[in-house]
Amino acid sequence: MSARGRAIAAVALRSGASAAWRSGFGLRPRAERRRAVARALRLACEALGPTFIKLGQLASVRPDLVTPEMVFELERLQDRVPAVPVDAIRDVIRRELGAAPEHLFASFDPEPIATASIAQVHEATLAAPYRCVNGRLLEAGARVAVKVVRPGVARLIADDLAVARRWAERAERIRWLARWGPNALLREFESSLARELDLRVEGRVGDRFAFDFADDPLVMVPAVVWTHTTRSVLTSEFVDGWLLSELGEAERAGIDARALATHGAEVFMRQVLVFGRYHADLHPANLIVTRDGRIGYIDFGIAGRTTPPQRQAIAQVLVATAYGDAERALRASRALGLEVPEAVEPALRSGVARLMRAHLARSPADVRGFVTGFLGLLAEHRIAIPEGYGMLVKALVTVEGVARAIDPDIDLIEASKPFTTRLVAAQLLRPERLRERLPAALRAALAELMA
Amino acid sequence: MRDVLRFLAAWALVHESADEGWRAAVTRGAGLSPGDLERGPDDFVDGLAALVDAEKERLKRDLAADGGGVAPTEGASDRRDADLTAALEAVRFDLAELRGRIESLQTSVDALHAERDD
Repeated sequence: MSARGRAIAAVALRSGASAAWRSGFGLRPRAERRRAVARALRLACEALGPTFIKLGQLASVRPDLVTPEMVFELERLQDRVPAVPVDAIRDVIRRELGAAPEHLFASFDPEPIATASIAQVHEATLAAPYRCVNGRLLEAGARVAVKVVRPGVARLIADDLAVARRWAERAERIRWLARWGPNALLREFESSLARELDLRVEGRVGDRFAFDFADDPLVMVPAVVWTHTTRSVLTSEFVDGWLLSELGEAERAGIDARALATHGAEVFMRQVLVFGRYHADLHPANLIVTRDGRIGYIDFGIAGRTTPPQRQAIAQVLVATAYGDAERALRASRALGLEVPEAVEPALRSGVARLMRAHLARSPADVRGFVTGFLGLLAEHRIAIPEGYGMLVKALVTVEGVARAIDPDIDLIEASKPFTTRLVAAQLLRPERLRERLPAALRAALAELMA
Repeated sequence: MRDVLRFLAAWALVHESADEGWRAAVTRGAGLSPGDLERGPDDFVDGLAALVDAEKERLKRDLAADGGGVAPTEGASDRRDADLTAALEAVRFDLAELRGRIESLQTSVDALHAERDD
């Protein structure tokens, strides 16, 4: 076994022992045991560095793969690491962009403004004007953020994944582990990690997001400077403003944070239901309230997609959920790939109705509580969660968390009701749908009258 | 069964009366001059009926001229313009995105050249 393999094994063993201790060697209640395992896993990911932190972050948006306890524990992963010395960052920029930052930019701040396990960000100013994809001109001297992949991180991830591949092979031969499909799971994580390491993908997703919301004056997406962007360097417009933790200051400056929170919820609905592309990692650090009162979206590393039929079904699920109609919500969920065996359907329906009454019928609604209960219910009935469904459900909870960070009283369900209702009404009144459904509706109405 | 027939007869009667009422409103409305609102809301409704009837006749003519297809009316033309503008914007974006990709690739090529020359 390689030295790295041994180090990983040692951390895994320590974490396993810690989880066993905290769960009373399996004697504590189930939820407590699951929480103990989730916590041990989060600490292990943090101890093992970038690959595992990233894997943990990817798992935290996938309730279709891990338990709800794991999802909500892994989203707390601390991705703060010491900064890489600026000379090493200069080397990456020189290798990637062909010249030292001092020659490429009018100014380059050697102090990073953000550091994370995969990349760190430095502020700079443009040496020459640049016409962005959206047609806007960034003047010479414009402030930009230069995100640089940490040197050596790709090698480290490749080595870690080689170890993980060997372990996945072994796990595939153990029956109770094989049901998770470790090989397939690892391949999926590998491709997600590869996408995250290629900063051009993030830049393109951001540009597309900006195009989708070009008509929304309250949405700000930093434009990418493609002449200064490659696989390992992403240069984009600087977003100046307040983090969600600094909103007090923003409000003192006259920003209407509540209106922004409601608008942010609608922006999310438009991403999912209209454009079919959404920011799936919308945690507070990826949102900035700009000085002119807009919502700045950054870091498009994890994005989700929805197809037109899925969008139609999601709108139906959301409206049914908003109006507390468990039966309709489950029926529409089927179109999203949720397969509910006939035998468990009544129990699931009444469970969902109970959760709706407990979490959504109050003001403000508690989407997180509802989703946690719902995922638990699906696990209890051994119902597999389709990938897109899981990611979307988690994104919805994250949006609620972010909206609450801005306005603690916001009711995501109430805020999204007008939009989703309008959308479903528009879907129902489409001429082709009317043509398709009207004869049946008239026959049903006549049958009812003649009954 | 008799109840159902009675219901359908009532429906036909309502339809017939509405039709007669509609024709009368169109005739009354056609006789009004613009801004003529002596009878208040009734004149307004009659005028509106006459306008809708005129539009209906125009639509009939358009349909006949188009051999059954719907010829572009003013609203349809606006919609087509909006669709064309949206399509143009989408193509413009694709083109700009492509430019971005090429700029990024060019930077990588230049960087490799610079590295080789060092």
